[in-house]
Amino acid sequence: MELINSIFELLFGTDPELRQIIAVTLRMSLFSTLFSSLIGIPAGVLLGANDFRGKPFLTRLVNTLLGLPPVVAGLLVLLLLSRSGPLGSFRLLYTVEAMVIAQVLLITPFISAMTANLVGVNAKVINETLVGVGIHGPKRLKYFLLDFRVPFISIILAGFGRSIAEVGAVQMVGGNVQFKTRVMTTAIMMQTNMGRFDFAIALGVTLLLISFLVNSIVNRIQKAVSDD
Amino acid sequence: MIELKNVLVKAKDRLILDVPGLRFERGKRYGIIGENGSGKTTLLRVLMGTVKTSQGSIEGLNLDHKVGYLPQSPYAFSFSVLRNVSMTLENDQERDELVLEALQKVGLGSLIHSRGSTLSGGEKQRLGLARLLAVPKEVLLLDEPTSATDIRGTDIVEALLQEWFEKTKGMLIFTTHAPAQALRMADEVIFLEDGRVIEIGSPQDLFNHPQEAETQAFLSHWVI
Amino acid sequence: MKSNNPRNILILTVISILLLSAVGCAQEPVNKVIRMSTTTSVNDSGLMAYLQPEFEKATGYTLEITSAGTGAAIEKGRMGDADILLVHSKSAEEEFIAEGFEEVRVPFMYNFFVIVGPADDPAGVAGSATAAEAFQKIADTGSLFISRGDDSGTNNKENAIWKSIERDPAGQTWYESVGQGMGQTLTIANEKQAYTLSDKATFLAHDNSLVMHLEETDDMKNTYSMIIVSAKRFAESNVEGAQAFVDWIKTEQARKMIAEYGVAEYGEPLFFNLD
Repeated sequence: MELINSIFELLFGTDPELRQIIAVTLRMSLFSTLFSSLIGIPAGVLLGANDFRGKPFLTRLVNTLLGLPPVVAGLLVLLLLSRSGPLGSFRLLYTVEAMVIAQVLLITPFISAMTANLVGVNAKVINETLVGVGIHGPKRLKYFLLDFRVPFISIILAGFGRSIAEVGAVQMVGGNVQFKTRVMTTAIMMQTNMGRFDFAIALGVTLLLISFLVNSIVNRIQKAVSDD
Repeated sequence: MIELKNVLVKAKDRLILDVPGLRFERGKRYGIIGENGSGKTTLLRVLMGTVKTSQGSIEGLNLDHKVGYLPQSPYAFSFSVLRNVSMTLENDQERDELVLEALQKVGLGSLIHSRGSTLSGGEKQRLGLARLLAVPKEVLLLDEPTSATDIRGTDIVEALLQEWFEKTKGMLIFTTHAPAQALRMADEVIFLEDGRVIEIGSPQDLFNHPQEAETQAFLSHWVI
Repeated sequence: MKSNNPRNILILTVISILLLSAVGCAQEPVNKVIRMSTTTSVNDSGLMAYLQPEFEKATGYTLEITSAGTGAAIEKGRMGDADILLVHSKSAEEEFIAEGFEEVRVPFMYNFFVIVGPADDPAGVAGSATAAEAFQKIADTGSLFISRGDDSGTNNKENAIWKSIERDPAGQTWYESVGQGMGQTLTIANEKQAYTLSDKATFLAHDNSLVMHLEETDDMKNTYSMIIVSAKRFAESNVEGAQAFVDWIKTEQARKMIAEYGVAEYGEPLFFNLD
């Protein structure tokens, strides 16, 4: 009962910190997903839809980056943005921007790889069909994007899921600063480290509920666009 | 007029197509026949430039919007049938009329709001043809355009191609696995085997009096 | 226990995992394994790694050490996942004792917290008589201060100092609570050139450009205690082993080792024995 109570309190209560945490989490995840998709989907289409020299190498590279451990991405961004690092003068470390950068590094290969796989299956016949009606080169991109718009939304959603659930990189480059960069996952880590398991579980359930909500909204969108 | 000169296509070391010389002329319909793997599709792809030739040249073919090519299993995009056809057209007032007319001609008038990806193989072929013919064409390259259509669909396609040909006096090149279709549709039949042109002739000559042993052997499988 | 439901589920899960992992291992008649839950500072400073082999040699027991902030370290005792605790937060320890988990509590050593910050000391902390005075200066000048904010012994100490000067820094623009261990907190403070409260041992072992501005004032004494977790709560609690550790730490050998620890490397001891 106490657990359920604390979940309700978290969700519908007036705890300003929790609302802050949710807001930061959503801001981070939405921007990470947005930038990763803007880069990853066109890159994935280019990779999946074309035959070119170096394609096997690029595919392998993307698949390797797919296995990049979050803490390694976090470490790279930490070193880049650190006061003593090459981009230190921007003072970006321990900001939401830094978290977004690390996550884009993590999620873009994921979205690219998924996109390339998806598009690759039918790429040959689509290309042939398009060439047959006089559509060549970069003009094809539009039709690939339109044709796969529904599965693309699923891929974007999966990217969002990765982003919102990720903890290693955002802890390192975000710093879990209260009211600034504390997100659901780092808050759960912290509460667990502090031995406050009830609160940690309640946060976890809240995270799941948010994910569920986002999924439901996106499914609506997916239905709408699939009807053309 | 289109002319192939010394065209050679190889994949690794295997010979796919070897055409020392071949001419296509305007105002004629060419039916390409031959077994699976004889090079029919490759010949069309060479004309479309989607297959690289190891040597040789293709002359007289400008790959502009007046040339249309239909692969054997054309892709139907996941948007509506209507948009599948209108996708290549400029957005003007005539567009919808043109598109609707093209779709009605191929017998898909009742499916305009269905998603392209839900169509059957034969419907996709007819959709592909409507997509091609929504824009005026002078040259049509069709890879087994009726391989998946049913009897009625085949009739529709053949009638439509006949109408197009009479109206435009353009050039039609199609492949088919059915000699009967070549007999009905072609002014000249080209028989391919193992990537080589074995025999060219009018349907009557080629089917009734095949000169080459390979042609005779191929036609012996054909029973009406 | 305040909340029955989730904690019980967790405890059950932990117990079943323990039981499952015990299947297949031959149970020895005498439990040779002591599960020790320590605060990060004694572990990260290397003290435990330094004492452990000598203790094991002397007594024949095996130490299994896990380290976490004091809050989490004590929580392991509550959940029956530790036989002995080695922590440094009076208020949290007293709460634990009040709940009846403790067999015996033995304060045994101390050191000092230090206030560290950027070399140019913008708040002018150096030379303060007490930590309270230093905190007052930090607050008055609005100099950036990074708080561990993780309910650890260090964090509890920090909160107590703010309380003593009747300031509540939470939510101030110059105050950032990061909810992380001492090491990460020092990294962040270094990166942001901010002040923070640290235990001396971890600070000396950490690679950063910050400077100790205040140390060894009376209000920064940091006392470490051992707490044996009562077998009344958890039958499998290894009270005997825990007692053996407590006994050993009081021997001349152990006291000498503690007093000497860090001298070679830092020129001064990191921990002092309590009399």
